[in-house]
Order: sequence, then C-alpha cells, then structure tokens
Amino acid sequence: MLFTLAFRNLWRNRRRTLLTLSAMVASAALLILALGVFSGMFRDMLASATEQYYGHLVLAKTEYHERRDMFAHLDEEVASRYITAEDTEIIGISPRLRSFGLISLAETSQPVELLGVIPEREKQVTSLQTKLIAGNYPSEAVNNGALIGQGLARKLKVSTGDEMVFVTQAADGSIGNDLLIITGIFATGDSRHDNNLVLAPLGWAQKIMVLPGRIHEVAMTLADPMLAALTADRLNPRLPDDVEILDWGDLLPEMREVIAAYDVSRMIIVSILYMATGLGILNTFFMSVMERTREFGILMAQGMRPWTIRGLVLLETCLLGGIALAIGLTCGAVMTLYMQQVGIDLAGYITPVTYAGGTILPRLHAVFEAGNFYVPAGMLLLVSLIAGFLPANRAARLDPVQAVREV
Amino acid sequence: MSLIELQDVSKIYRLGSQEIPALTGVSLTFEAGEFAVLAGPSGSGKTTALNLIGCLDHPTSGHVIVNGLDLGTASKKALADFRLQNIGFIFQSYNLIPVLTAAENAEFTLMLQKVPKPERRAKVRKLFVDLGIDGLENRRPADLSGGQQQRVAIARAMAADPHVILADEPTANLDSHTAEELLELMRRLNREQATTFIFSSHDDRVIAQARRVIHLQDGCLADDLTISK
Amino acid sequence: MDLVRLSWKNIWRNRRRTIITLTAIAFSIMLVQALHNLSFGVYAGMVDSGVRAGSGHIAVYRNNYLESRDETLYFKDGSLVDDISQINGVEQVLPRLYIPALAQSSRESRGVMLIGVDPDRERQVNPFLKTLPADGMIRSTDSRDAVVGTRLLHELQIRPGQKFVVTAQNEDGTLHSELLRVRGVVNSGMKDIDSSLILVGLGRATQLTGNSGSVHELAVILADAGLEATVHRQIAAQFAQGQDILAVSWEEAMPNLANAIKLDYASQKFIFMIILLIVAIGVINTLLMSVMERMREFGVILAMGSRPMTLRCMIMLEAVILGLLAAAIGTVLGSLATWYLVAVGIDLADLVPETLEFGGVVFDPVMRASWDPAWMLRIAVYVVCLTLLAAAYPAIKAGRTTPVEGMRHH
Repeated sequence: MLFTLAFRNLWRNRRRTLLTLSAMVASAALLILALGVFSGMFRDMLASATEQYYGHLVLAKTEYHERRDMFAHLDEEVASRYITAEDTEIIGISPRLRSFGLISLAETSQPVELLGVIPEREKQVTSLQTKLIAGNYPSEAVNNGALIGQGLARKLKVSTGDEMVFVTQAADGSIGNDLLIITGIFATGDSRHDNNLVLAPLGWAQKIMVLPGRIHEVAMTLADPMLAALTADRLNPRLPDDVEILDWGDLLPEMREVIAAYDVSRMIIVSILYMATGLGILNTFFMSVMERTREFGILMAQGMRPWTIRGLVLLETCLLGGIALAIGLTCGAVMTLYMQQVGIDLAGYITPVTYAGGTILPRLHAVFEAGNFYVPAGMLLLVSLIAGFLPANRAARLDPVQAVREV
Repeated sequence: MSLIELQDVSKIYRLGSQEIPALTGVSLTFEAGEFAVLAGPSGSGKTTALNLIGCLDHPTSGHVIVNGLDLGTASKKALADFRLQNIGFIFQSYNLIPVLTAAENAEFTLMLQKVPKPERRAKVRKLFVDLGIDGLENRRPADLSGGQQQRVAIARAMAADPHVILADEPTANLDSHTAEELLELMRRLNREQATTFIFSSHDDRVIAQARRVIHLQDGCLADDLTISK
Repeated sequence: MDLVRLSWKNIWRNRRRTIITLTAIAFSIMLVQALHNLSFGVYAGMVDSGVRAGSGHIAVYRNNYLESRDETLYFKDGSLVDDISQINGVEQVLPRLYIPALAQSSRESRGVMLIGVDPDRERQVNPFLKTLPADGMIRSTDSRDAVVGTRLLHELQIRPGQKFVVTAQNEDGTLHSELLRVRGVVNSGMKDIDSSLILVGLGRATQLTGNSGSVHELAVILADAGLEATVHRQIAAQFAQGQDILAVSWEEAMPNLANAIKLDYASQKFIFMIILLIVAIGVINTLLMSVMERMREFGVILAMGSRPMTLRCMIMLEAVILGLLAAAIGTVLGSLATWYLVAVGIDLADLVPETLEFGGVVFDPVMRASWDPAWMLRIAVYVVCLTLLAAAYPAIKAGRTTPVEGMRHH
C-alpha cells in the first residue's frame, strides 16, 4: 500500500519528476559510457603489450628475467611436463629461444632481438600475424624464414624475399652467423617492436646459438587476461624451485600501476558526478515534501506515525532512483554496445600513444566490465537514499496541527 | 463616444473536452465617472465580464471597444500597454507580491511606466496618507492585516491615475467595518477624481452603494438599473 | 535597475532551494577548476621532465632525421651551440649523437642505442642523471667513461668499473669498435630506459663513427616554456641558407608525450561536460519550480500592464544573478583549492608504490597544480551562459501566461 502511494506521489508533478529523472539517467548512462571507453583503452593497452610480445604468462628460469642470460635455458618440453590439458584457461603455449645480435645486410647492420619460435604455436600467443603489411608469417616449411618489423625493414632498406645475415654470440663461445630470408614484414605502431624484433623458426635459432633442444621461456596466453595472477599462483607450486611463471603484472609493473591509478580516479569521478546529481535531487525532494505539508499533517492527524511518513518519502526517492537506474543502465548498455561494436576513429587527431609498455590506438571503443555498471548503479541508489534523507526527516518532524493549517 | 462598450460579447471556456459558456450575448456601455456594480450569484459571469472589460481576455465572439478602439485586433503587447496606462485592478485576494514592501507593491505600475524613483515614492507616500496606511511603507504584505493589504492594493490600482478601476469582489474577505470604510473611500475617489469604478460583487452593501447595478444571471444580462445618487 | 532588485528579491524567496542550487553550481565549478589546474600543473611537470630527458623544448635536426632516424643525417653544429645558448630564454643546448651499436661484455652482447653527449651540459639538465653520485658522470667528451642503464648492466653481466666493447658501423660501411668503462649507473625505474641507455662523451662517440664535430640533434632547453614560439623563430633565423637543418617543437619531436597529454585532457573535458550537464538540468528544474509556483503572481503583473517580455527578462535576470553569484563563489573556492594544490599538492606515494610512467616520462610522485586563470575564467563564463540557457524554457513558460490563466493558478 505504501509502495503504491509512493509510486503515485512521484507522478503528481510529471514535469518535475521527469526533469529530475532525466538528470539522474543522464549522469548514470554517460558515466557508464565513459567508464566503458576507459576500460576499452586499458584493455587495448594491455592487449598491445601482451599480445604483441609478452603473452599473459611467461614460464622461465627464475633468474632469466633479470638479465635475460643466454645460459639460463630450459628443456624445450618443459611446458608439457607441468601444464596439462586440464588447465583450460590457457589457450596458447609457445616455447621461445631469445638471442641478441646484429642483422647485417650489404652496408648496414642493426642490433636486433631475435625470437626463435614455432610459428603455429607462437600464433596462438601473439598476434603479429594480424599486423602484417607485406608477405607472410614464417612457417615450418621455410626453415630460415623470418618476420621483421617495418622500422627495421626501412632502416635496412629490405623487403620480402631479401636475404640477411644474423650474427650473434653462440652458447659455445663461437660467433654464430647464418642467413635468413624475409618472409614477411609487420607493423604494430610500437617502435620498440617495429625497429628491433625478428621472429625466426625455433630450430634455426637453436642451431645458430648451439643450444639444441633448449628454450629460454614459454609464453602463454589466457582466455581471460585478468585471471593471469590467479593462474600463475595456481601453477607455480607445481614447478621446481629454479623455474617460475610470471604474469603480465610482474612483467609490466608500470601497466599494473596505471590500472590501479585508473581505478582510483574512477571512484573519484563517480563520487563527484553523483554529488552534483545528489544536490539536484535534493531540491526536487524538498519541494515535493514542502508542497504536501498539509497532506502530511492530515495523514499524521489520522494516526500515521512519523516513522512511516519518513519511510514514505525515502521510498519515493529510492523508487525514483530505481527507475533512473533501470533506464540509465539500459541507455548506458546500449551506448557501450555501440562503442564496442563500432567505436570512434580518432586517427586523424592523434597518433598511437605508447604508455606503460603498451600502446593505445587512436580508435576509441568500449568493453563491457561488470564494475563499470554496478559501481554507478550502486552509487546512484546510495545518492538517492542520502538525498531523500533530509526531506524525509523534515516531513516526519512536522507538527500535525501547524501542518494542517498551511495553505 | 462612450468609454467602454461591450457589443454582443460571448465567452466560452474550454476545459479539456468540455465547453463552458460563461457569457452569452452581453451588450453594455460605460461612460466616464460611473460607479457601477456587476451583481449576481457565483457563476453568473461577473468575473468574466470584468476580465473582458479590463482587456485581460478576448471574447469568443462579439467586440470590446474602448475609447473607440476595437480590442479584438490588438496584440498582447498593445493590450498590456493599454492596461498599464488606463486600467487599475483590485483583486479579491489582493495579490500583492510577497517579496516587495507595501510601497514597492504600490508603485509597481509606476515602475513599469518608468517613472523615476523620487517621483514614484512621493506619489505613493501621498496615496498612503490618503488611504490611512502611512507608516506601513516598508512592511511586507505578510506583516499586514487583510484591510491594510487591501488598501495597499487600492493604492497600487490608483498610483498610475487610471481612467478606470476594476474591482473583483473587493469586500469579500473583509469584516463589515473595514468594508464600509473601503466603499466610502472608493466613492470619495470617484467624486473627487472622476475615476470610473466598476465592481463585481454579490455583497448587498456594495450593491447598495452603487449608482448603477447590472444584474447578470447564467451569463446573460438580466437587468441594468441606474440609480441617481 | 528595478527589475534587477526585484529579481534579486525573488531569488531569495526560498532560501534553502537557492542555497542548494548555488552550492551545486559553485561546487561543480570548484571541482572542475581545481582538477584542471592540477592536471595543468602535472602536464607541465611531465613536459618539463620529458623535454629534459628527450629532445628539449625545441630540437634541431637535419632534414627528416626525426622520422627516418637515418644515421647519415648528421650535421656539423659548429658555433650553433654557442649561438643558440645566447638567445634570451635558453637555459641549455644539448648536442647529441645517436649511434645504434652492439654492446659486448665478456659474457653477453646486446643491441643498444649509444648516445654521445656533452657530459657537463647533460649533467645539469637530464633528469635520469639526477641520482648519479658526483663521480658517477662521464668526465670528458673524449674519455672512455660510459653511463649505463641498470638493467642493461645486468644483462651484459658487468659491474661499474668494468670494461665492455661497443661496435658500430662507420659511414663507409666498416665496423669500428671502442672500449668503454662503466662509470655510472642509471636507475630510472622505467624498463625501456634502464635496459637500453648508454651515454658516452660526444668525442668518443664520433671516434666510433668517424664524423668529428657532428651531431644528430641539438636539444634546446628553455628556462621558460612560454617563450617557445619566439625562441623557435630566433633559432630558425640562425641557420645559414642551404644548410638543410630545421628546428622542431617538442610536440613534433615527442608525439607520444604530446598525444598522451591530449588524450588525458580530452577524457577530462568529457567528464567535465557531463558534470556541467547534470548541473544544468538541476538549474532548469529549480528555475522551473520557482516559475510554476509564481504563476498567479505573474498573472497579476501581466494584468497590471506589464509586457510578457518584461516577465521573461525578469526570469532571465534571476538566472543570470544566480549564475554570477555561483560563478563567483565557485571561482573563489576553486582558487582556494588550487592554492592548496599548488602549495601542498597530492602525494601519490601512498597510492602507488613505485614510479609511475605516463607517455614515456616518469611522474613526479607529488602532483602539484599550476594556475591557469584564463581557463578558470572561461569556465565561470560558460557556467553563467549555461544558467542563462537553462532559464530559456522557464522564461518562455512564464511569458506565455495570460493574466486570467495565471491568476487561476492555485
């Protein structure tokens, strides 16, 4: 009964209720959109860092990451020993051998980082195959085919089909050098990869470095990157003491910090926005309570308790908040959907931004994340409750005799 | 040429889908200096007739002609200007602006006419003295009694020296003593300044004081008696 | 004038409502101004650190060295360094030579970008060198001293004081090596820098390439960033005809930083717009309420002979006065907040433990604001205009009343 009364009371002054509702809906919906776009940006950054190079998890000898010491190598079958088919969150596993050396061609040489990989497996972990601008990804068929970045190609003035020599220090102390044929060129927008990275077949790399059957790390990719830390915690106990799995947070601490800072600023923005909304609601509710002073007086004279009156007003604010929530969430979801599917292309305005180890591309899009919905929603209800509190108190404290006399 | 003329005037109000005829085929003429009352029970159309005479509203059919000018063709702006210069209103519930003082309320029309402040103040002060409410200039309406508020309303109606003062049930909310005083006051003004007074009222005391009584019934003209006094 | 007085009195009819509305508007203005000034200060700090470690406020290159990074695009700086240093507003000119090379220790080798610098000038300016001890810097342009990033040091498996070799290609294609000794270690906290930075003296660097007296870049550091435009012109005037060198601003030379700031700024603007929108709707609501409850009074005013336009003006005036008042209060509060943020700032050290990177530059853990009065004024003006706009609908509503209808209210 109280509920029906509260609901009908909202619609006594349609225009006022609709205006207030529109403010609440606008703040909720736009906030959800903004948060979705920011989440999209961070997902992009994370994706660009992990999917171009690092992967979500990396298994290696404990001391390997510090210095990337060539001699801290592992058995190339190490992964299959500790990671089973039951670890379903892992969807890609790629063993890698890393070497630092020089690419030499006619009159030019450039220092590079060469990753020896099994092309089919590497494709499951990194996405350079989607960034090709010429030629093809290396395959098992060509045992010395390599993939290089656009920056490197430019500096060396080479294109697909050209040959180049890679020179490096081998594990037995000798200088290894061998020929590579460029099968493809990639462009990621990140100069550190485009200028320095070379992918070559694992077998070829093992030969030139004189490390047969050895690798330096196993890069893995997860279905949900946000579960990386948990998965690492789960798997690490299985591993021997000198081997460990690091997640992207360990590999890219700057990224983790940026995301933490973002969460903080997200809360600040939400609070500010809702404070402004709350003040607007406050006026509306005071107005609606003051207008009904006489009515409340009559209700109280008839025996309704002050507590119930307070409850009535609070119910009204919460109902309004609930309706605003429903509409706001829907609008926010629709807008987020649009941004997710279509997005906005800012390529004319800004170039890719490299940040904390990842790259933000100038195409804005949104992702759906639960937090971006239930935080604004919760805050809206909270604000409705708080904004209703003062007017509700006012109503409850009315003196029935005075109230009835008001016109 | 008469001051105000209603020619076969009708007014129909529309409330949603319902049509309510307030006046039907009323013809009246008023001369300068009259002291007339539109009498009749509630719902007889007195207030509507008064509104039409005061150029507050347009008739649904018929003509309202003031000083030879047919008001039907006039724009809202022109009507407003006309009212400002020529007509003063006294309403049943005073309708003073609560945020303004008594003096500020009274000089409102003068302010709209852009009369400079010192002149306005002087005029209003004199009026207040005449009306017996001097000393109350700086009080807000909320701090005045009913009778005092009504006098402020009269001061407001008169401040711009209008040709016509229209009063809608001016004595309705007053006790008998105050009502008497008020009527006496208005008769005096009518005598001394030749201001035309047109009331609407169902109060017998008011009707008794009028020189001309126009009876309205169910929106139609029932009677038009001129009593020499 | 009288209309203004009437409007003023009307605003205070319902004190609580007016105060709540004023609070909402003023509060929003305060937040928007304070946050903007905070960002302004932080960006300025970032740009400052960024240009000092990077290409300077203005950089001089030959031809399209910036895009191509073609090592053959070096130029002889001759007297340029001194000439540019004389320009008013220039704090320092850093000559640099960038050489891609292979660094080899007895155990490991890595590809690096060797940077030849003038050690004294560089020491004064470059923030990465701030933490070097007094004897940790390269001693002269010709010495074999090198300053190396800490991760690189680990990867090469050498320690300070130990030797390593760098090999690079000469212009004529031959490989040339130089022996260097680790003099100082840089620990910036950024993976990229720490794993690739090698600084040597310019003289030693040109031994490697065979181009004595040449540089790839002159990084010009300004004492006052505001003088960028004038100094840029003066620098450009220094170049002899046909010399094929040009000056670029830091926005062009370090687009990453410029764009990171643009992006952050744009997202901030979006949030601010939302906040102001919410406030605007609140103001419309309030004004509308105050108009609707005065319908009767408006009827009377119209009856007395006021024009509809006068009524509309009165409503607009009420809104403008409200807006001006709120803008004034809000700006005062915003200024107070800014003052606090300039003097004390926000210490991020509590929230984020390690160094925070942004656009390739290290954040100062204390965020400080910087005054941007022009922007603050703009916002205040926008808000006043917004209140005016918000009053449009209520004013129209008031003006459309007829005396009869108005007085029938209640």
